[in-house]
Amino acid sequence: MLNEPIRLTQTVKGGGCAAKIAPGILDKALCGLDLPVDPDLLVGLERADDAGVYKISDDLALVQTLDFFPPMVDDPFSFGKIATCNALSDIYAMGGVPKTAMNIVAFPAKSMDISVLRTILEGGLSVLKEAGVVLVGGHTVEDNELKYGLSVTGFINPSKILTKRNLHPGDSLILTKPLGTGIITTAIKAGLAGEEVVERVISAMSTLNRDAAEVMADFTAHACTDITGFGFLGHLAEMVVDSGCGAKIKSSAIPHYLEALNLADMGLIPAAAYSNREFRGKFVEFDHSITRKMQDLLFDPQTSGGLLIAVEHNQAESMLEALKRRGIECAAIVGEVVLNPVDMIIVE
Amino acid sequence: MANEVDCRGMNCPAPVLQVRNVLESGTPVLVSVLVDNDAARQNVSRLLEHNNYQVKSELCGDDFRVIGTLKEGVTAKESLPPITSNKLQNMGRKKIMVLITSSRMGHGDDGLGDMLMFNFLKTLKEMLPELWRIAFVNSGVNFTADGSEAIPLLQELEGAGVQISACGACLAFFHILDKIEVGVVTNMLEIINQMKEADTVITL
Repeated sequence: MLNEPIRLTQTVKGGGCAAKIAPGILDKALCGLDLPVDPDLLVGLERADDAGVYKISDDLALVQTLDFFPPMVDDPFSFGKIATCNALSDIYAMGGVPKTAMNIVAFPAKSMDISVLRTILEGGLSVLKEAGVVLVGGHTVEDNELKYGLSVTGFINPSKILTKRNLHPGDSLILTKPLGTGIITTAIKAGLAGEEVVERVISAMSTLNRDAAEVMADFTAHACTDITGFGFLGHLAEMVVDSGCGAKIKSSAIPHYLEALNLADMGLIPAAAYSNREFRGKFVEFDHSITRKMQDLLFDPQTSGGLLIAVEHNQAESMLEALKRRGIECAAIVGEVVLNPVDMIIVE
Repeated sequence: MANEVDCRGMNCPAPVLQVRNVLESGTPVLVSVLVDNDAARQNVSRLLEHNNYQVKSELCGDDFRVIGTLKEGVTAKESLPPITSNKLQNMGRKKIMVLITSSRMGHGDDGLGDMLMFNFLKTLKEMLPELWRIAFVNSGVNFTADGSEAIPLLQELEGAGVQISACGACLAFFHILDKIEVGVVTNMLEIINQMKEADTVITL
């Protein structure tokens, strides 16, 4: 037992974005809240998006977000990196540039060595440095289960905000990271994930969406979100419903971890995948050829997932090429926005 | 006699692991699992179906009872993928890499060669847990692509934590780069690095 490496996933009930409270339940707490009004609040709670935007001047606005969760991988340094990439991602998805961040920590100091926390924070800092973001503070509370994340503030040009609700019929949909991290991290918790796939998943989850966002800024993107806890179809359903459009998805084009399909067959699916389907299933129509495991994958909650970008159709191929040139090799055109049927995603 | 597994109060993936242990410890004809949440019900059902059980579930007060009946003519032992991940398997163990350079084994009769190679892949699981990587090059890559009968065999090995990879240039040469069904696309540098890391490389 000497120097046995700590397995963070064994210390918590559920990890990563799969630990998000189910969307249907959250709505009950949020709907009808009496929110303060301010004309400079450009994107706020009443039209929930990846991040909030507050206008300072005609060409400058603050973009703010917050994300934290229990560990979904065993290694503390990797967990720190992934949580930080995930928190920064919302800023990139809005088209902003992150500038400052603050740590949010819940730590079981009675049962876990404090060196674990230090390693997590070091992992987080390594990503902040890569992103050119400064850490300005943080807050730590004692808790039974470990949680880590950040509150992030960035700058954005108010005329270049990319929300979820501006899909145009005919747009192509591009996804920049493979799906399946929720299923594979469930297998990690179960001790049933192969070493090699764990490495690949950790590396993808620790990859910033910055490069993808920078490429996106060079093209006419109409809408964008990052894929996290609600899964690919959950987030796409939000975009479709908010924009009054529909979407057609080509399942064979979806980038994913092959292993995730096998693991889904074995029942290693996070509970949040089922609640995502329950809440958003009514917006989705699967062709009869779509296997159950592929459906599971499309609802699988992602941690630090990729960007889902709606780009003008005639620019889609060149954007894809540009993404690949930037090293985002698994990016793919996965479908298109349609006018009919409205509020519906057809998966073929 | 039915195997009763009480998984109430457990969150995913714990119920799946419990039931998996029961399946591995014998060949129960009937398995009955109590769970208290719908995600666990669905996950346990998937695991049982994956292992050739006919599954039904019923409400049992506030809980669910999932009942699996082994299909005729299969034993649970046979249908289970070999146990545990490569991470656990390979800890401190020998790492064997198998390099498959052709779709057939040996020279002589082509039909016989095809049959021998398929039989080799089918029996390869006996090399677990030391089996660590399988890399396919040249016409060997056809085993990983759509239409290959070896796919379920390779998926089973992959499920056991063995990394399967196919040479990208070879897949492109045979025009099946987009048809790969199992494993990951690799390149020569990665193959060489794996050879360096392996304790034994077996080339066919």
